[in-house]
Amino acid sequence: MFPPFEEPEFAAQWELWIRGTFLHLFVQENGAWLWPTLETLHFIGLSLLFATVGVFDLRVLGVGRAIPPGTLHRLIPIGIAGYGLNALTGLFFFSGFPEQYFYNPAFWWKGTFMAIAGINVAAFYLSASFREVKLLPAGADAPFGAKVIAGTSLGAWMAVLVCGRLLTFYRPPFFH
Amino acid sequence: MTPLEIVCGWVENTSLSMWVRGESMLAFPTILSAHTLGMGFLAGTSAGIDLRLLGVANRVPLPELAKFYPVMWAALALNFASGTLLLIGYPYKAFTNPLFYVKLSLIAIAVYLAVRIRNQVLLQPNPDAASVLRAGRRMAAISLACWAGVILAGRLLAYTYTWLRVGMPNNF
Repeated sequence: MFPPFEEPEFAAQWELWIRGTFLHLFVQENGAWLWPTLETLHFIGLSLLFATVGVFDLRVLGVGRAIPPGTLHRLIPIGIAGYGLNALTGLFFFSGFPEQYFYNPAFWWKGTFMAIAGINVAAFYLSASFREVKLLPAGADAPFGAKVIAGTSLGAWMAVLVCGRLLTFYRPPFFH
Repeated sequence: MTPLEIVCGWVENTSLSMWVRGESMLAFPTILSAHTLGMGFLAGTSAGIDLRLLGVANRVPLPELAKFYPVMWAALALNFASGTLLLIGYPYKAFTNPLFYVKLSLIAIAVYLAVRIRNQVLLQPNPDAASVLRAGRRMAAISLACWAGVILAGRLLAYTYTWLRVGMPNNF
């Protein structure tokens, strides 16, 4: 499988600081029930993102063209809630076992694709794309620029998911 | 040896099963990634339609949501294939865990509900009629609960098994 990641012999300052937080101790002491619970919530959160942002992206790309994208955009707050749930559960994961993430190549790949997805979100709302897409009537094809953004969004979130799944293959099997 | 041990033991010794469990990056990590992607698109798309029925984004025209079903069927096919490969890798681990049957049952209910939602709500001539929508809301709520249950059971499979392979108990 993948080579196990390497961590320094002595914990760095930032790691020692995290190891002194309440959250770190809470995750460490309650791992047996807490970890599977957090994992389940993390997967539900990602499904909510695919349920909302994914469906919206697919419409912009041309699936269900008779749906005006503006009406579908009302789903997005649920996707943001899913993202928030994943940021929160992610904070628990990282605080509990910081070295399992920081020194894990899959973690940095995941972060890279999250950054791409984030810049893409900014590009969508700050450019003319959002206004154009919001005003599209039923049956209308989205402009090419909006399609590129929707495709990037779908691709980036899929890559985030895959990198998240691969985290586990660089480290001991407790963390499946 | 019980019949289950004999069958699973035989499967575990096939070269396909050994490949799934083996060191290849194309095996377990790729199959599991594909299985999770399929979950995102299957549970996700179905949940998106459920949310619409429950009143979020309620100006989305219902009949057109049927156009998203091919995405769900593709994801279901991907997960049937990837799930079968994972099962070939660790058959005894799955079949000796009651949660595996819970997961499969919940998937069956959720897929059945998705079909019913399409036929009895989305594709009805008047899907926004109060009686049609009321039935749709009930099915959508159960569907969301089923998908959450599928994800919970699926996640717990990694933590609750008693046997990893035939003759290999899990030592937590």
